[in-house]
Amino acid sequence: MVKFPSRLTFRRLTPAFAALALLALTGCATLPERKEIRYTGDPIADGNAERAAAPVQERALWDFRIAASALRVNNPEEAKLHLDDALPLIGGILANDADAKKARSLFGSESNKTFIGEPYERVMAYYYRGLLYWRDGQPDNARACYRSGQLIDSDSEAAEYKSDYVLLDYLDGLVSTKLSADGSDAFARAQANAKNRKLPAYDPAANVLIFAEYGTGPRKYGGGEYGEQLKFFTKDSSAHSATLAINGQTVRLPAYDDLNFQATTRGGRVMDHILGGKAVFKRNTDVVGDVALTGAAIAANQRGRNADTTALALGAIGLFSKLASAATTPKADIRMWDNLPQRLSFAALRLAPGDYPATLEFKDASGRTLAALTQTLNLHVDPTDRDTVIFLSELKR
Amino acid sequence: MKTSLRILALASVAAPAFFLAGCATGVQNPSGVPVTEMKADERGFVAGTGVESQDLVAVTDKMARGVLAIPEIAGAKVTPRIVLDPVVNETRFPINKDIFLTRIRSQLNEKSMGKVRFLDREMMKTLERERDLKRSGQVTASADPSVVEFRGADYFLTGKLQGLTTKTSAGTSDYILYSFRLTDARTSEIVWESSSEIKKQGLEDAAYR
Repeated sequence: MVKFPSRLTFRRLTPAFAALALLALTGCATLPERKEIRYTGDPIADGNAERAAAPVQERALWDFRIAASALRVNNPEEAKLHLDDALPLIGGILANDADAKKARSLFGSESNKTFIGEPYERVMAYYYRGLLYWRDGQPDNARACYRSGQLIDSDSEAAEYKSDYVLLDYLDGLVSTKLSADGSDAFARAQANAKNRKLPAYDPAANVLIFAEYGTGPRKYGGGEYGEQLKFFTKDSSAHSATLAINGQTVRLPAYDDLNFQATTRGGRVMDHILGGKAVFKRNTDVVGDVALTGAAIAANQRGRNADTTALALGAIGLFSKLASAATTPKADIRMWDNLPQRLSFAALRLAPGDYPATLEFKDASGRTLAALTQTLNLHVDPTDRDTVIFLSELKR
Repeated sequence: MKTSLRILALASVAAPAFFLAGCATGVQNPSGVPVTEMKADERGFVAGTGVESQDLVAVTDKMARGVLAIPEIAGAKVTPRIVLDPVVNETRFPINKDIFLTRIRSQLNEKSMGKVRFLDREMMKTLERERDLKRSGQVTASADPSVVEFRGADYFLTGKLQGLTTKTSAGTSDYILYSFRLTDARTSEIVWESSSEIKKQGLEDAAYR
């Protein structure tokens, strides 16, 4: 005959359950010690220090941030270094990856996975690398970057948002035109994505290429009951367009692409389904835990051997359910490339080699100059046979 | 007691069910499918990835063998001089464009036993500066520096990388055509041309989709 535990046994078992719970949770406190960082105020030095201290899964994130900062302080070599580190990772096929497996598991967080960024972030890595290739006299490699970027954007759920960057196609076509190939298909795609805005016709003899960016890009946050939904906070930046006054002419720099739009039009991810499943599990186990523990408490107050056994069984279920619920991490990965711009612009013009004073002005939605953002520049046009690439940003770091 | 046993039995079934409920996400191939190399004429289930070292080795080996076998090189009475012209990249993969020609050149230099010579046009600026220094008497010269000794090319060797990409929810596939040609500098005739095709496909882990 089976001997059932008495109430005394149940009381003795309660601390054992608590101890078990503690033991189960101790495994969670294994975060590696982070190297202390001495901040200098220099975004590149600080970024490199952060990168060195960051877990290996976040290297690309820091590469992205440092590259953008480096471009803005006119340090293209540093930008190249970091983009070249990140591109093989974000451009490859990440399969059978242990960190990704962990991220998918019930008790692993999505942020366990190697950071490669959302499509709009990966596109920007290629966009920046593209302009650096062009600067180095390798427009065909620049075009390769624009093509990869547009392919990454083909992940969008809705057909109308797939590969819909205007500039990526426009620049693809411009490179082809400059290399004496046919850029008309790419131009037509760019024009279709630009909708009502008329894109400037290609000038193969244009030797100065201006890449401009302004506004502040999208921010990620976790929505839903447990932060399991990847959401974007987007604020329309005050700068809606720009102009560059140079050599007696005013070059218009309208916004061709908007990263807020790109981030929010991707649609659902496969990972969202996994996180949704984790959230359901977390909720269910929590509810089961509540119900079982309440039942256990009621049963414990009843007389009789059956009541003790019931209390014990329900207590065990409740405890394990609560533990499982607590250990489940459905939080979406909200690590983000946080120094991206909102708007991207481009212009090509002809200038003789030499130095040119220039004034960059940003305009609001109604076309008024945002005086506080105006920049006075001195631009240099190379005498070499390669194009001069000029990068202009409203952002400082 | 019967009630207790029932509760225990129910609990033992219900608990794992709840634990497993969150796993049923309906995602296919959650671990992804590793990249696999395929024959160019083989039909893939998706699309692929970029230029890697094994492709470079395979392609440049083939091209070097091809160049050495043509009569213009193999049977030349005077050692032909070749200039390498940068490869044009039309794929979606940024590449180190010099690496193809560098490997072909080193393969040819290794295997041709002097049947071909390459002209170092990358060094032209440095060489011109050195020649000018010799002409001006600032440095010594072992031969008359006023005589033009820079050789002209008999052939130009160049190449082109072209690609086709497909991307669907089942993965990404890339086909790359590597073509190289040797052009007669005097007649503009293409005296040799060869190509290699590589197709790859893969599907990333669901965590990245």
